[in-house]
Amino acid sequence: MGRLKHPGPGFLPFGLAIVLILFSLILIFSSRPEKKIASAPFWPHRAWLRPLLGVVILIFFALVVEWVGFLFTTFIFLVVWMGVIERVRWLTIISVSIGTTAALYLIFGLFLDVPLPLGFLKW
Amino acid sequence: MNEILGMFQGLVNGFGIAFSLINLTFALLGALLGTIVGILPGLGPAATISLLLPLSFKIGSPVTSIIMMAGIFYGAMYGGSTTSVLVNIPGEAASVVTCIDGYQMALKGRAGPALGIAAIGSFIAGTIGVIGLTFVAPPLAEFALRFGPPEYFALTLLGLLMATLLGGTSIVKGLIMVVLGLLLGSVGLDPISGAIRFTWGFFMLQEGVDFVTLAMGMFGIGEILINLEKELSTELVTRKITHLWPTLKDWAESKWAILRGSFIGFFIGILPGGGAVISSLVSYAVEKKVSKHPEEFGKGAIQGVAGPESANNAAASTSFIPLLTLGIPGNAAIAMIFAALLIQGVQPGPFLITEHPDVFWGVVASMYIGNVMLLILNLPMVGMWVQLLRVPYAILAPIIVLFCCIGVYSIRNTVFDIWVMGIFGVIGYFFRKVEMEPGPLILAFVLGPILERSLRQALLISAGSPFIFFTRPISGAMMGFLILFIVIKVFAALRGRWTKAI
Repeated sequence: MGRLKHPGPGFLPFGLAIVLILFSLILIFSSRPEKKIASAPFWPHRAWLRPLLGVVILIFFALVVEWVGFLFTTFIFLVVWMGVIERVRWLTIISVSIGTTAALYLIFGLFLDVPLPLGFLKW
Repeated sequence: MNEILGMFQGLVNGFGIAFSLINLTFALLGALLGTIVGILPGLGPAATISLLLPLSFKIGSPVTSIIMMAGIFYGAMYGGSTTSVLVNIPGEAASVVTCIDGYQMALKGRAGPALGIAAIGSFIAGTIGVIGLTFVAPPLAEFALRFGPPEYFALTLLGLLMATLLGGTSIVKGLIMVVLGLLLGSVGLDPISGAIRFTWGFFMLQEGVDFVTLAMGMFGIGEILINLEKELSTELVTRKITHLWPTLKDWAESKWAILRGSFIGFFIGILPGGGAVISSLVSYAVEKKVSKHPEEFGKGAIQGVAGPESANNAAASTSFIPLLTLGIPGNAAIAMIFAALLIQGVQPGPFLITEHPDVFWGVVASMYIGNVMLLILNLPMVGMWVQLLRVPYAILAPIIVLFCCIGVYSIRNTVFDIWVMGIFGVIGYFFRKVEMEPGPLILAFVLGPILERSLRQALLISAGSPFIFFTRPISGAMMGFLILFIVIKVFAALRGRWTKAI
């Protein structure tokens, strides 16, 4: 922490924490309970579903990309996202997925030299 | 006299740099990307620049990558109006007010003049803004050389608080975001003593939270997740856009609005914490006030399009002034460019113009060229870009998320960063749910180290006396202005309904 004369590493974080508590209290006490009743629900009619699915697919990507490799994971990611979250026509899904996977591979893998994970493709 | 000659000399050298083939190509690429993200709702310039940050040092020299990113920023100001006029959804935040009268004009079959005057106004204002940047920045940078730690502390604090107080709906929520951003910025090694803070045992966090990861999570992923909740339908009012070139009557009605908008944007852009969004709001209010027919506003007044669209472009150009002369970004998109400069090893601040004249003058010169490119892209070719609105978000969203994942992976080649980005994405989603805009957080995260270092150094100089911020003339004036501003704001809040203001 230190003192005003010799402010240490914890000086600013400590001050910020106090300010944060202060503002949070203001926010809590300034929101009147009666406003709550009239306000809309946090997630109207299953609105949480699509964002949640998005996060699940993202987690899937992070989990498997190193094992399965970039090409397959990217392709599956696109197919699942467009097929499950959105209802895109299958022909569009397949063509967009193949096109995007190839484009991303060209940009990052070849043009920018990023060592993309190959997964079981590295023979 | 010598100084003015020096500026022209610099500008000429800058044009030499900007006219090289690679820089012209990337200026055009930036202008194109900017127009596209401006048109596409749900993807703003800040998010787009964050997507490109991992690529920035692979593109090439600092000048080239900053030229492109600047192009994205001011290009988005051009494109944003198109969606506002034709779909009644703002293509990006600075075009919110353009919806009001622009859409009404389109309903009356005057989409062409609305788009035309927006593009012409943007061009005039953008060019005025760049002229300002050319001649205001060098003397300001020289002035800023006198700044010591107390001045920097006062200036950073001013910028942060102004950005929060001027923008956003809730001041307290904005301030909470600022504090959270500052705290996030303090993760990692302490800049002065080297102590390790808040890493929770994760070795990967010792270098601090990575800006690109944070920005992509908060802006890229967070934005996509919140947009998944609602169906974005982009129904065009009209497919046929004719009479883009405004008539003499249109021009007579809007020329003063364009000039007023240019100057409003010019000054708000320079202000710490100012920017394109605020200036467009101010311009709309001013136009309504000075108009002889205020009842026309909301029913398709051309001034309601010309003014704000000019203002946001002027502000987009001049908001480079605090970045390039003081090293203090004023809004989230500029904060991304700040990060890009740092990634390239260029320290934004008063020394930038003298130490990296090629970067400064090259970027400034490219902005003159970029504005011409954008005028061409947005006037005769606007019909082509409108087709972009037919690409459904359903296809765009997964591609953007993937781009984020691979981009963030490419920085350090580790999946750990994808996880961190995902977590920030979910946090960003919930922030948006409770109407806490992530802009101030990003700004605070970038400014945090400057704020902390200057605060602690100032206190070391003054042997612990906080009065150092008030007794030195420059920092004293800034602190005085800040306190005055807060007092006015609090007074206004107390006079109005207390809860409404918070």
